[in-house]
Amino acid sequence: MAKEQAAKPVKYAKKPTQILGSIVKWILILFFAIYTLFPLLWLLITSLKTNAEYFDNPFSFPSVLQFSNYMNAFNQANLGQMIFNSITVALIATFANVMIAAMAAYAISRFKFKGREIIFALISAGIMIPLNALMVPYYTIFSKVGLLDSLNALRILYTAIGLPISIFIIRGFMDSFPVEIEEAAYIDGCGFFGRFFRIVFPLTKTGLVTAGTFQFITCWNEFVYANLLISAPETKTIQIGIRYFTNQFTTDYVSMYAAIIIAIVPSVVGYIMFQEKVMSGLTSGAVKG
Amino acid sequence: MKVRKNDKIGIIIFLIPALALFTVFFIVPVISICYMSLFKWNGIAAAEFTGFSNYKNIFGDAVFLRSIRNNIIWAFAACLIQVPLALLMALILSTKPRGWKIFRTVYFLPQVISGIAIAMLWSAVFNSEYGILNGILKAVGLGHLSRNWLGDPSTAFICVLIYGLLYVGYYMVIMMAGITNIDESYYEAAKIDGANRFQMDIHITIPMIRYSIVTCVTLAAVFGLRTFEQVYLLTNGGPANRTSVVVLYLYNQMRDNNYGGANASSVMLVLTGACVIILIRKLLSKKEEK
Repeated sequence: MAKEQAAKPVKYAKKPTQILGSIVKWILILFFAIYTLFPLLWLLITSLKTNAEYFDNPFSFPSVLQFSNYMNAFNQANLGQMIFNSITVALIATFANVMIAAMAAYAISRFKFKGREIIFALISAGIMIPLNALMVPYYTIFSKVGLLDSLNALRILYTAIGLPISIFIIRGFMDSFPVEIEEAAYIDGCGFFGRFFRIVFPLTKTGLVTAGTFQFITCWNEFVYANLLISAPETKTIQIGIRYFTNQFTTDYVSMYAAIIIAIVPSVVGYIMFQEKVMSGLTSGAVKG
Repeated sequence: MKVRKNDKIGIIIFLIPALALFTVFFIVPVISICYMSLFKWNGIAAAEFTGFSNYKNIFGDAVFLRSIRNNIIWAFAACLIQVPLALLMALILSTKPRGWKIFRTVYFLPQVISGIAIAMLWSAVFNSEYGILNGILKAVGLGHLSRNWLGDPSTAFICVLIYGLLYVGYYMVIMMAGITNIDESYYEAAKIDGANRFQMDIHITIPMIRYSIVTCVTLAAVFGLRTFEQVYLLTNGGPANRTSVVVLYLYNQMRDNNYGGANASSVMLVLTGACVIILIRKLLSKKEEK
């Protein structure tokens, strides 16, 4: 309450400094909004123009909406296949990651066994490792087991590299509800697995969704390792796909912009639908850490 | 909960998948880069032990030195520009001005869009022929300032820095989460004492969210050291390696089949990251003692 009152200073007679303050405030607010949104809106508008219109004036509006740019993007770059690849990779890696992380977090959070805090500290330290520094070993591992150019390589890798943050998030949620519920279930004869699937799993749903959202967005957007491990056209993900538009359409800018729009629409729509979950998912490691 | 006899098997079964993946994809790779950085290796032939010569080579390479310098500048710039701006925006939006929720959503938006899509979009912003930036400059009569932003050594670095402002929203959301946790009674007490908004921000809000701020500084530094995608896509290190970063350097070493050099630069990256985190943590704990 106090903050809200402070935010809306007394209605009558504003001091000049207050007026100046609120002008500066709104300039900053609008600057960042424009800075973020303007390029995106420009991209959307330009993706509906013809190349000639774009070269003529980058800021004009299209005279006729060129939805054919989107068809071009789909046909020329095989975007449909790439989107399908990205979806299966992200879904499988998210499901496997959350499942494995929840199991580990359950064991660490609910049971006092020797070395559990050491295991947890070690796994948490994994969050801070710059994964880009591990390109050579990851490449070596997957070339040794013959999984280069395979989507399974990405599924396994994404599942693994997301584990530290997922375990960290999910453990936080599991720690926050009392053990007594499980003790009661134990006395009623509910076994280890029964307690996990019937009690802990449903109770930590928020944590699982938070970790899952984070994981899904990371997988969908991942570029470095997809670029490193995949080169065959039929196993490319959408993020590598749009990268190669730069080479494919040296002159067809508008189709390239259409392809970028296609690549970002799923995450933007998902974000707008689940804003709070996405924000807490992407920052929870930091907020609780 | 105590470990009961029949829980033991369950615990082991539940820990195995995570521990196996963690070992294969975290522990073994970190050990392997340290160990293999002592070998000369092209990825195919047998590796040859050469001691610290890989380190000697990368530290004798002007491109590596320039890359690590860039990384450090980026990390500092992120801490000194992005974090204070994020704090300012968090303080502003926490006063809940009209539409603050919408603005928060907008500022956070770049975090959910892939780095590659943003980088491609921003290379359109900086494009020399049909770019947005040059177009705006022409429109407001500053056409003589238009240039090939990413190809010009004097501006390329700044362009990559400006691009970093897109991440202000991320730190802002972290700090706003900290601000909402502050007990209202502090502000009520301050108001009774006649404090104004600015004084409350300086003496209550900022000290109370110190932990969030330090977290943001750590993250900004760590992200600054890890920078790869935007540089790879915007400038690919050019012009003349002026914007190169360590991860790009290691990527190029790998491409040239100099795996030893790549591993040595990986080790340097991990070490620098660890040092930065420890340093920032140290500074934080000192402050808390006061």
